[in-house]
Amino acid sequence: MTNENSDPVRLTGLIKRYGEVTAVDGLHLGIRRGEVVALLGPNGAGKSTTIDMLLGLVRPDAGTALLYGMPPARAVAEGRVGALLQSGGLLPDLTAAETVRLAAALAKRPRPVTEVIDRAGVGAFAGRRVGQLSGGQQQRVRFAVALVADPDLLVLDEPTTGLDVESRRAFWAAMRAETAQGRTVLFATHYLDEADAYADRIVLMRAGQVVADGSAGQIKAVVSGRVIRATLPGADVAALAALPGVDSVETRGDTVLLHASDSDSALRALLAQTAAYDVEVAARGLEDAFITLTSAQSTGSTS
Amino acid sequence: MNMVYLRTEVLRVFRNKRVLIFSLVMPAMMLLLIGGTSVNDADGRAYVMVSMGLFGAMNAAIGSGGQIAVERGLGWNRTLRLTTLTPRAYVLGKVVLALLIAIPPLVVTFAVGAFGLHVSLDPGVWALVFLGSWLSSLPFAMLGLVIGYLARPDSIQQVSGLLYIGLAALGGLWVPVEAMPHAMRTVASFTPTYWAGQVARSPLFHGHLDPKSVLVLAAWTLALGIVALRRFRVDTARV
Repeated sequence: MTNENSDPVRLTGLIKRYGEVTAVDGLHLGIRRGEVVALLGPNGAGKSTTIDMLLGLVRPDAGTALLYGMPPARAVAEGRVGALLQSGGLLPDLTAAETVRLAAALAKRPRPVTEVIDRAGVGAFAGRRVGQLSGGQQQRVRFAVALVADPDLLVLDEPTTGLDVESRRAFWAAMRAETAQGRTVLFATHYLDEADAYADRIVLMRAGQVVADGSAGQIKAVVSGRVIRATLPGADVAALAALPGVDSVETRGDTVLLHASDSDSALRALLAQTAAYDVEVAARGLEDAFITLTSAQSTGSTS
Repeated sequence: MNMVYLRTEVLRVFRNKRVLIFSLVMPAMMLLLIGGTSVNDADGRAYVMVSMGLFGAMNAAIGSGGQIAVERGLGWNRTLRLTTLTPRAYVLGKVVLALLIAIPPLVVTFAVGAFGLHVSLDPGVWALVFLGSWLSSLPFAMLGLVIGYLARPDSIQQVSGLLYIGLAALGGLWVPVEAMPHAMRTVASFTPTYWAGQVARSPLFHGHLDPKSVLVLAAWTLALGIVALRRFRVDTARV
């Protein structure tokens, strides 16, 4: 019945509208076996709606979602998919251990409950009611619920939102141990450092669409170059943009920002031809890549 | 039916103080209060006992389906949809749970009647009264599903509270229908509680379950069941 050659995730032309708002706008995404993919984007980019459609929790207005070549509901019934959803989703009147045990009882081929409780770091508070646990502890319970079904594909919707630094680190340590076993993982995040540190591949989302897709290195290469920041009152933007090696210019008051693919040439010309001072040169991080790509997209769509 | 799931559901009911108060403590207290002070004859005490047992069973049964609204509010339904539990099994589980948790209120009130108020019935009549009361909780299980799908998570407690009180008072569980003015009696006959009372109490007077009342109650069950099914279908299609 199941096609063993099918990709874990294949989303084709997904569209979802809520009234006037188009949350997801013609999204295509394929994920291959064993990939760890970050779905990166600001709040409101459509990450959660995409994940809900991928899991069969929300019906798309158009397009299809296939998991291992099957409709999501069937892939879930076959025990191929586990998910950690954003906030809620737990019963406050059950203990953490009861919750995991129940999830195991409702799984097709569950992992041993004690092993999962240990892996997710639930052991210390396993006997306490979920309603009395902190946000970080509840998140570990959700993680255990996702793991106990022993899924081939693990989907995590902003798994570290609301966690303190230490809990985040513990969470990713546990995740690394899981992905070492060849599991396919898709996680949504708006933390750039998390996407950079934990994903093999980053899919950048904005306004319901994929705006970039590649390794963290490729994403950076797309907007490679440096940023030269200098103070230059009354700057002539057109003249600055014409300097060698400069791609684009921004001004913020007396400060100018030159985005340069060849920062050495740009810097020589800047200091030789203008009165610029307080000069700084910095590499563009993923954050810059993110801003450049997403704002380019917005100017593209409004013009 | 997944037994771990069902056992967990029962466990949650017994952790819910609201359910325990409305379905166990309140009916037993009212039985002691009314049956122990204002009713002097044995028949009357048996009558009150069955009414109060039914009151508790009804509250428990409505509460089971009402949990659907609470669980939707918590997002628990989303978690369940990522398991092998189908929506159909989920809703059937609520009906089975309603029938299971309708039993303790009957056992408690009947025990209070038998040992506290010296209600004595033939074993056959006890059995029929129990059976009639228990099956009478079925339409209320369906009603619970309906409000579980229709009510908002934050209003479900008020809605179910109003239903407990309204259905019990209008349907003659608190004040016997026979003691009501004529107009009130007409109103009572439009409630499922009235017919549940007729079914559950008929063995006390006739030694068997009244067929007409059983039929009316079956019709109530069917009608509410259809409404619940439609809401269920709308709900699963939307998500």
